[in-house]
Amino acid sequence: MKKISFRTDVLPLKNELFRVALRITLNREDAEDVVQETMIRVWNKREQWEQIESIEAFCTTICRNLALDKTKRASNQDASLDDEGHDAPDHSYGANPEEQAVQRDKVERVRTLMNHLPEKQRTCMQLRDVEGKSYKEIAAVMDITEQQVKVNIFRARQTIKQEFLKQEQYGL
Amino acid sequence: MDYKYIEQLLDRYFEAETTLKEEQILKAFFEQSEEELPESLRQYKPLFAAMEQDETLGDDFDARLLEMTEEKMLVKARIISLSDRIRPLMRAAAVVAILLTLSTALNQSFKEDKVWADESDYALRYEPTGNEPAMAYDQVNTDSVKSDSLYKPSGYFE
Repeated sequence: MKKISFRTDVLPLKNELFRVALRITLNREDAEDVVQETMIRVWNKREQWEQIESIEAFCTTICRNLALDKTKRASNQDASLDDEGHDAPDHSYGANPEEQAVQRDKVERVRTLMNHLPEKQRTCMQLRDVEGKSYKEIAAVMDITEQQVKVNIFRARQTIKQEFLKQEQYGL
Repeated sequence: MDYKYIEQLLDRYFEAETTLKEEQILKAFFEQSEEELPESLRQYKPLFAAMEQDETLGDDFDARLLEMTEEKMLVKARIISLSDRIRPLMRAAAVVAILLTLSTALNQSFKEDKVWADESDYALRYEPTGNEPAMAYDQVNTDSVKSDSLYKPSGYFE
């Protein structure tokens, strides 16, 4: 097995971990904190790196768990956190008549829909459709079966498609 | 143009039956501008455009993290290297001590050789002198006789 270096094998995962954390916490500062905490935890376990099958899956698992902890704590403090940040951009973009802005608005709406999915579906979709991971890798990260991963992705894609096309149809 | 293949892929995508490679094909296909896409497929573009990896962390994050991890370990390594730095000195001192002991031991044995050589020469270099035991004995005898007569106080026992 090859030697793992923090600088070249762990640190470059920061953006991927950041997106996973962001998809769960829905807050940039929280997501950045989560990635930092993840990296420090991974660093502190450097004696075990040689025994880890995939450092990427290992980091992603820690990152997801820390992000889940953070949102649990955040939702205890402020229940309306989820709704507040995400309806606002819809209207500001909707008023812009330019084609590009319309496109951006649509992308933003898809992301908002995605953020409203249950966490499992959201993370499965993030890992598959954004990060391009195999079902096997996602199953390892989330500690569920490949079949469950597939079901989550199926539901996520169906929901987003239906909700998005419904919005388009009614000109929302 | 025939979009049957893409439509088929799209159907399978929503059933979660596509492979990673097929999903890449779909992503690439929907990167075309809206006008280039057939009308029936245009509506799906945002679904794929939303899956871009566009959220990232800055370089300052790297710097902060390295400061908290690898560079912290460098400081630790320096502490370890202190005792490491002393170790060669200790080794050198040990070597010097061994050399000193060896050289004194060698010197000692040379000296002892010399002493023995002197003693073995002694018989050859022997020349008779007035200190020979037989003569000495005679001398002592005559001396004691003399001293007897000399030092015996007269009328000591009276």
